Amino acid sequence: MEALRVLITRESGGDPAAPTVVLLPHTYQSAEYAPRLAVRLGAAYVASVSSATLDACGGLRFSRAILQARLRAEVRPKRRLVVATVQIGAFGGHEPVESPERVFEVGRPADVERHREREMLGREAAGAGGVDLPGAERIVTAGRGVGGPDEVSVAADLASALDAELGASRPVVDNGWLPREHQVGSSGHIVAPNLYVALGVSGSIQHLMGMSGSRVIVAINRDPEAPIFSVAHYGIVADLHDVAPALTRLLEARRSA
Amino acid sequence: MRIGVCIKQVPDTDSHLRIADSGREIDDSDLNWVISSCDLCALEEALVLAEAEVSRGEERPELVVFSLGPARVEEALRKALALGADRAVHLADEALQGGDALADGRALAAALAGENCDLVLTGAQSDDLGQAATPAVIAEILGVPYAWLVMAVELDSHKQSVRVVRELEGGMNEVLRLDLPAVLAIQAGINKPRFASLRGTLQARRKPLQLEGCSGVDAGLVGAAGAGTETESVTLPPAGAGGVVIEGASAEAAAEELLAHLEREAVL
Ligand SMILES: Cc1cc2nc3c(=O)[nH]c(=O)nc-3n(C[C@H](O)[C@H](O)[C@H](O)COP(=O)(O)OP(=O)(O)OC[C@H]3O[C@@H](n4cnc5c(N)ncnc54)[C@H](O)[C@@H]3O)c2cc1C
Repeated sequence: MEALRVLITRESGGDPAAPTVVLLPHTYQSAEYAPRLAVRLGAAYVASVSSATLDACGGLRFSRAILQARLRAEVRPKRRLVVATVQIGAFGGHEPVESPERVFEVGRPADVERHREREMLGREAAGAGGVDLPGAERIVTAGRGVGGPDEVSVAADLASALDAELGASRPVVDNGWLPREHQVGSSGHIVAPNLYVALGVSGSIQHLMGMSGSRVIVAINRDPEAPIFSVAHYGIVADLHDVAPALTRLLEARRSA
Repeated sequence: MRIGVCIKQVPDTDSHLRIADSGREIDDSDLNWVISSCDLCALEEALVLAEAEVSRGEERPELVVFSLGPARVEEALRKALALGADRAVHLADEALQGGDALADGRALAAALAGENCDLVLTGAQSDDLGQAATPAVIAEILGVPYAWLVMAVELDSHKQSVRVVRELEGGMNEVLRLDLPAVLAIQAGINKPRFASLRGTLQARRKPLQLEGCSGVDAGLVGAAGAGTETESVTLPPAGAGGVVIEGASAEAAAEELLAHLEREAVL
């Protein structure tokens, strides 16, 4: 981080053509130190932006999701220099362009000693396997909207009627309603089945990152403004406790017919 | 030993959200305010650490909760006291309000430094703005090590360092050791926050809640004056991908209609 600071201040020092925006990906690695870098640079900081525009006077505006993706905010930096992290997947990939490569020598950062204060001891897998979510053809996911540990069965019943694996949003796992290996999303499994049925899932960015590549997405949610509907191919605005059992009954009736 | 816990009061995620007439913020006239969910986990983790010290025969660390915000924030602090914190500090001064993560982090860092906390816990990100920036700003200003998305915390027996498990993408964790003092941003799922008991709620009324001014910080660096950003507008997310919406039908009719679509998509 100190090396980045040295590099950026050298680049921006006094030169009118110097950079005024530092963009980093919003990964678990860079989003950890990016705000510290902003403080060190005296820069403004905006996290997980999904788009950027220039206004008539050349001023920058960043757009980002707030309140669990239920609303969007347009944010204006008030400093000349701004550090922003970019939401993964927010911008389509472009072919890399040839750009002149420059190598900077930044020397040994003055704060290298301080790194001893934080030492990496190792890495480990977060949870046990057992559920084959990434390989599943169909997934039915229980969101916090199912209501509680005893109500997860509405999702499990629909999953078995569809011959699908059972997924979970993070709060369902955090609350202990289902084990961690069921979790879909940025900190769980990234999946892309043929059919993804989201029951009582609001559609946060972290959840969408894990499933928006699915071929057919169905959302059942009683809130017509839930962000999950923005990626759903089929949406039912209703109480999942009415619709999911009805679906299960119909599928079972077909199977036995 | 003293553990500081920073909590933020946010609109309940189940509240009905309306955009204010100014178009720059949400209408806060009719909102239910709660402690942000990860911050509750941070407080729970502090309580667990304190209890672990006691069961090791050590002195119980003092737990001090901090919150920056207007008068309504007192309710969040009282709740934290009811859950088991010993003292509360409310950064209520008018000059501290209206900031962003940079300004709020600076104000909180000054208050935390004033209390000489050995360990500072916060939530990994707030349920409202979700920038995950304030704890990192606090760590930078205090000049201490920091870890984000913390899923386990263990104090060493000399209280010189903490062993921390931090989440990475895709089901991997990183194990770290941080020297104290340190700032840890706690991720949801690390624990299950307890509920306040009636006794706790009654005791909370008598626990000290101190109002903190902005002495010791440059007024130009906190509050609206110190913010590096400004919210220009708040809008509903762009309309959906144009999917088929089934609304208002009976459950059976909706289920029939959906299955007909799924049959056509050949995904059954
Ligand atoms: C670093 C980080 C990593 C994260 N990783 C993940 C991840 O991997 N996966 C993940 O899922 N989340 C992740 N999250 C959490 C994420 O931000 C959201 O909090 C989470 O996805 C919300 O889960 P949900 O949709 O189940 O719950 P909520 O957002 O609470 O939504 C519940 C929904 O259910 C609806 N509902 C309620 N009752 C009913 C009913 N009876 N009938 C129909 N609908 C109903 C509501 O309208 C609401 O839309 C992460 C967060 C962070 C900060």
